[in-house]
Amino acid sequence: MEIPYTVKARPDTGLYNGKLGLWLFLASEVMLFGALFSSYVLLRVGAADGTWSMGLMDIVVGAGNTMVLIASSMFVVLAWAQLKLGNLSGPWLSPRSWGYIQWKWATVACAVLFLVVKWGYEWPSKFVHYDVWFKDSAVLHNKVEEGYHYDGEVHKDELWDEEKDKKFSLARLYLEKEIYVERFFKTYSEEEGGSHTAFNKAWDTGSLALSGHINGYEEAQINVEVTGWKSDSGVSESEADKILVGLGVSGEKGEAKQLRSQGGLLKEKVGYEVAKRAEYQLTKAGFSVALSVVGYESVESHPYFWRTGRINEDIGGKPRVKSILFALDDSHHEKDGETHHKEITINTSDVKRLNSYEPKHSTFFGIYYTITGLHAAHVFGGIIVMLYNLLPIGLATWHRDREQYANRIECFGLFWHFVDLVWIFLFPILYIL
Amino acid sequence: MSGTSAATKTAGITEIHHDEHHDHGEHSFWRTYIFSTDHKIIGIQYGFVGLAFLFFGFCLIAMMRWSMAYEGAPIPFVGPLLESLLGSGVAPGGVMSAQLYNVFGAMHGTIMVFMGIVPAAFAAFGNYVVPLQIGAIDMAFPRINMASFWSFFIGCVVMSVSFFIPGGAAQAGWTSYSPLATVIPTDGQTYWLIGMVLLITSSLLGAVNFLVTIINLRAPGMTWLRMPFFVWAQFITAFLLLLAFPPLEAAGILQLMDRVLETSFFLPTGLVVNGADVDVSGGGSPLLWQHLFWFLAHPEVYVLILPAMGIVAEVLANNTRKPLWGYKYLVGSVVVLGFLAFIVWAHHMYMTGMGTVISAFFQTTTLLISVPSVIILTCLLISLWGGSIRFNTPMLFALAFLPMFGIGGLTGLPLGFNFSDVALHDSYYVIAHFHYVVAPGTIFGIFAGVYYWYPKMTGRMMSEFWGRVHFWSSLIFMNLIFMPMFAQGMAGMSRRMSDGGATYSLSNPDNADVGGALSDTIMGLNVSISAAAWAMLLAQLPFIFNVFWSIKYGKKVESDNPWQATTLEWETPTPPPHGNFIKEIKVYRDPYEYSVPGASEDFSPQAQPSK
Repeated sequence: MEIPYTVKARPDTGLYNGKLGLWLFLASEVMLFGALFSSYVLLRVGAADGTWSMGLMDIVVGAGNTMVLIASSMFVVLAWAQLKLGNLSGPWLSPRSWGYIQWKWATVACAVLFLVVKWGYEWPSKFVHYDVWFKDSAVLHNKVEEGYHYDGEVHKDELWDEEKDKKFSLARLYLEKEIYVERFFKTYSEEEGGSHTAFNKAWDTGSLALSGHINGYEEAQINVEVTGWKSDSGVSESEADKILVGLGVSGEKGEAKQLRSQGGLLKEKVGYEVAKRAEYQLTKAGFSVALSVVGYESVESHPYFWRTGRINEDIGGKPRVKSILFALDDSHHEKDGETHHKEITINTSDVKRLNSYEPKHSTFFGIYYTITGLHAAHVFGGIIVMLYNLLPIGLATWHRDREQYANRIECFGLFWHFVDLVWIFLFPILYIL
Repeated sequence: MSGTSAATKTAGITEIHHDEHHDHGEHSFWRTYIFSTDHKIIGIQYGFVGLAFLFFGFCLIAMMRWSMAYEGAPIPFVGPLLESLLGSGVAPGGVMSAQLYNVFGAMHGTIMVFMGIVPAAFAAFGNYVVPLQIGAIDMAFPRINMASFWSFFIGCVVMSVSFFIPGGAAQAGWTSYSPLATVIPTDGQTYWLIGMVLLITSSLLGAVNFLVTIINLRAPGMTWLRMPFFVWAQFITAFLLLLAFPPLEAAGILQLMDRVLETSFFLPTGLVVNGADVDVSGGGSPLLWQHLFWFLAHPEVYVLILPAMGIVAEVLANNTRKPLWGYKYLVGSVVVLGFLAFIVWAHHMYMTGMGTVISAFFQTTTLLISVPSVIILTCLLISLWGGSIRFNTPMLFALAFLPMFGIGGLTGLPLGFNFSDVALHDSYYVIAHFHYVVAPGTIFGIFAGVYYWYPKMTGRMMSEFWGRVHFWSSLIFMNLIFMPMFAQGMAGMSRRMSDGGATYSLSNPDNADVGGALSDTIMGLNVSISAAAWAMLLAQLPFIFNVFWSIKYGKKVESDNPWQATTLEWETPTPPPHGNFIKEIKVYRDPYEYSVPGASEDFSPQAQPSK
């Protein structure tokens, strides 16, 4: 006996098992994404002024991705329709006569494009983008002046604040108009003082962050010094000496032993990774180690995922990174005939917090990555299923039982439409609002 | 299994199809008993693992009760074992430390709910009995069924392994509230979250399977209102699991991100831990976790009770030899219960500072939901009236369920009102209330089910004598454990205290002039409760023995239907083969046609044609 209604629909419900199962699964998915959307609402409504990032998403790219997914939803229906008509495949070069296989590959292509844009461009572009918060409002004000001051013509109405009858620095005014109010502050009415009130408060207390990219930094050059050795760590003297030789001490008689008993400089002016690895191996072997920073080396690089601890990690009293070369967003600077972002130097000692645009950055980014990540995982899963159905392993079912195969494709189409629908909610909520 | 299409193109493919179809009897041991897609094997797998974890969870609390009764004293027998397994950090000299108490407490709750009751009551009995009772040959998706079990199993492995990692298993309660659950420095909390994701996945797969099976695979003649009440209960339970679990999955993902990626979904701004600012963005909400958690966890308690109510209904109808009273009221109530279950969750959060409007809403819905519960209990109670009652072991457990669930339900009323919950929240009163519902409630339902369906699964009866020993000792000790806890709760004893409340008792000289300090009588109850708990543990040994011994030496059944029941699972050979029924099943009758006037027997099976 066979399990009934796997292919043919049951008369009273009008559904075959797989389709019913898929609708129920979609109900659970609605609850899953619904919980995340509800979390978004609760977190956004409860966010303190100036802490909810807005306007940081590239709406054009997002809209493009939306079109890609909508197209893919159309293609998946065309694919299924061709399948029901019995056209498994058609000539690739004339889309008018495409069959199921062509339309399905078109769907796969759209899905892959969506993921490439998201995981290849959108997310990585955020991981190299930074916010820096300062310990002191005076430092913030100085850096803004340095970064956004314009040489060039100045218009009176841009400089003069009518209400306060006061002259603001052009730099700050620019910042106020262009960057922060739009991005971080809720819009208050004119009676309430407008968003500028909240901005002014943040400006005065120094709680604004500056946004930009890291173009380079000064990294510590470290000396590794052996200061002693304990014999009760379970490592014998000769084994300890071997560790030293492995770390570059000459194997000649006595040198390792001398270093172990009297201490001394083991490595000079090495990088962080080398120093830390040496420290780990030495401590495991029973040595006591002192790391000290003897200088800083300028490095040109655009790092990913840096956090505060990455720059102010204490090494013998000094920070791992002395300063960063920070290219400010929306600042323009002519250099060698080209327009660059203006670079300012920010000392680690002035930094209260540094964070890339990763989940840890803020609850906005946390929920952004979670929802789009879960959605992207569903797109990825969909690609896997589509590939299974298109490759010989899955196509074998078409040859065995056409109706069953068509049912699978129908069920997949339902799933795919759901994934598209989630994105259609996601896009305006995360990108536009 | 695929369609029976004859017109295939290549011989090779047809051949494979044939092998797949005819090979059922020739599977290896592994495919037949371990990686099986047969709902009966999967049901038994769930049953064994579920019952094993119920016992393990009970052992955890047995050890905790020692700490509550005799704080600071080494635990006899198992103390040295604990120390060697878990280290002297948490069990110095065999004494349970406060940290270990928290670990055991959190894991006791998690294990009992997600690895004990849900697999045993919902998945085990559901998988085995539901397809049989609706006349189906298997569940709708046998392979998804197998995936569901193995996902569950791996989740159990992850949870179990977490005991042995440095730092220990989760210790922030089964409720895993943030910020504690996020900042606590043990990886065990992360293991808990991963384990939960696996367990939730298993339940979601299972729920889809149950729903499609019940909707689409009912045998001809098995209309909705001819389904046994057990199937209705499982149907609603599956809906609860399907729709309530995903928010907890979302919450679990968010808390995992808080722990691993250092996000701040549930961490407020300005959080200070051990005197230092926590380096996170802040801006999160601990309340958000509570809402997401309880949005699942309230429907979860109905998941825990409904299968047991279903089992009790079956056993009562069978052993009173008359139909259930108010079948339609039962069905209507369980459907309404399913809907209302989703809108009461914040009654677990009355103490979070919610406003009066929200509080009034949840108090109202909470009181409303007591109505269908009471209707169900009343219908079951009235079903006894005028019955010709057979007092066999399953019936004893089913009968005891009624007053025990009654006590549990009634004692929930003061908790449902905000004004009285203020005094009782997080006290031992709450522990007593919910344990009355799950322990002498659901667990008695599970026991009833085991004794009742054992003959169908094995072809032998369990020992009646040891069954009665098991029943009476369990009933007495259950009440000795949980009844005094109401008094302790009303006297103000809080939950989750590893010293049993000694810090807040009158025996602590600091409390000499503190009003409301716990009296010696109340503290003394700790000892009697603990003793009853250990006796309860011992009382389960005859049951375990009975289950295994009866497989070989139990009295053989004399027919396929030893209980002379009407429902379809008794129409199969014993035990049912792959495919379940040897003749085609058509349903002609309602589920409980006992003592039909004019019939030759006092029961008329559903598959028997009416004259």
